[in-house]
Amino acid sequence: MIKSTQPTNPLSQVTTLAELQRNFISDCLSGKLKQDNILLAKDIDSSVISAQGLMGIYQNSAIANITQSLILTYPVIEKLVGEEFFSAMCRQFIYTAWPKSGNMDDYGLEFADFLAEFEHVKHLIYLKDVARLEWAFHQSSLADDASITDWSTLAQASDVLQLTFLVTPSLSLVSSTFPIDQIWHLNQDNTSPDMEVEFADEQDSDTFIVLFRQQLKTVVLPITAGEFALLQAFEHRETFEKAIIVASQKQTNFSVDESLKKFIELGIISGFVENIDT
Amino acid sequence: MQKIKGVGLGLRHRHFQEFIEDKPDVPWLEVHTENFFSQHSTSSKYLAKISQNYPISAHCVGLSIGSAAVACPVREQHLQHIKKTVDWLQPSMISDHLSWSASDGVHYLPDLLPILYTEEAFNIVSKNINRVQDVLQRQILIENPSSYLRFNDSTILEWDFLAELSKVTGCGLLLDVNNIYVSAFNHGFDALTYLECLPVAAVKEMHLAGYSIDIIENKEVYIDTHGQKVYDGVWQLYEKAIQRFGEVPTLIEWDTDVPELSVLLAEKYKAEAIIAKVLNKQVA
Repeated sequence: MIKSTQPTNPLSQVTTLAELQRNFISDCLSGKLKQDNILLAKDIDSSVISAQGLMGIYQNSAIANITQSLILTYPVIEKLVGEEFFSAMCRQFIYTAWPKSGNMDDYGLEFADFLAEFEHVKHLIYLKDVARLEWAFHQSSLADDASITDWSTLAQASDVLQLTFLVTPSLSLVSSTFPIDQIWHLNQDNTSPDMEVEFADEQDSDTFIVLFRQQLKTVVLPITAGEFALLQAFEHRETFEKAIIVASQKQTNFSVDESLKKFIELGIISGFVENIDT
Repeated sequence: MQKIKGVGLGLRHRHFQEFIEDKPDVPWLEVHTENFFSQHSTSSKYLAKISQNYPISAHCVGLSIGSAAVACPVREQHLQHIKKTVDWLQPSMISDHLSWSASDGVHYLPDLLPILYTEEAFNIVSKNINRVQDVLQRQILIENPSSYLRFNDSTILEWDFLAELSKVTGCGLLLDVNNIYVSAFNHGFDALTYLECLPVAAVKEMHLAGYSIDIIENKEVYIDTHGQKVYDGVWQLYEKAIQRFGEVPTLIEWDTDVPELSVLLAEKYKAEAIIAKVLNKQVA
């Protein structure tokens, strides 16, 4: 049988484990720890360091762990604002959005919206969209592989216009009024320091980007407005006919044959299904 | 599933390419299971390639085996993720910590939170370990935590708690030498007593890492940050651990500010030299 001793403070009121853990988390999630409102104050041996000081170690450690996760998802944002500022900013973000589970792959979606509202970076108006691009990159990197399609059967389709083309599970689409693809490329580790981004508050045309995975690499590729609309339509399981219509509305000189061929070759379009009821 | 022997390294993103291309001479690698939940992710594809040449140990950080909540969907969901990952990875060993992160199913703090050492907690932790071992259909190892606070209501010594857990649940123990050193300093107990009270047969793996030193309210506190070389005091304790537990597979852990692989390899050689010295063996 396990050896049991007297509690350090035998006069303390025994707290159930569930209650103690609830209070522990509540204290840590409440933001700035204050000595007079720590629920666990009576439960912690504070003979050397106060309960506030000791709980702060765990709170800081959790924040450091979450920040590490955000650094992995948002490395370009970290480069743009600097390591120290990024960590301080993450701390503010984390107080508003604690993880809901131990699967940190799911964590950080709200970061882009946070950046748009965070007073100290509000003037960096492109930052939100760069963060959206990084989140899309993160999602593409985690996605399942596409299943293999026998493209030779495409010729047997009774009505190609009524087909639905399938996109790879790693597809992400991002658009912006800023050249965020260039900003992203410029801040990769292997980029030449001489490269520069031509930057204006309002550029002539929007930026359209597709992200997808090829083997071990996640690709960030600029595309045209028509191609973006085409892939968006495919993503929403529209028919080929409908996809062509929306793509042509977005881009007058849109060449569907060229774009379709390119997306199939790149693996962005990964298959097709015939719509039986049409 | 390959058996693990010798001194391995924690596999981190920074070194993926080197392990694929250069195949450094390392007998086994340990991964954080939570980084490979998506089997098709880029990281998992790298790991699949690397695991063709290196046996893998799966180290978990979120099973939250110390959670008291009866219905804890967050914990159960995490366990199912771990099972899926373990099924494809087929690691040689699986481990997690004597700690908790989830409470009441809706709250989660991604850290290794401290346990209140009571009989109630012992029964809860035992039940949770049994649940994990039932789902995974194999033994798991439980790692001794580093801790910074103690609860007034604790009635059981940490090492007795761990020893009894291994007896009651059949789990193995992962002896983190750095954690013992850190906790012994923070709480003022004798690290050698800790080693002497753990059952020799239960210890299946050891961890070595570096800690940092913080000053809190004018007092030094050792923090288990895994961001430095192993300290001399920890090497000395490791020597004692090898004397007691024999040549147990040992891991060099480095999680923050991960250095070049050569730095980790130098730490590995140090551990190998200590094993050789204690067991009077030639270094390979």
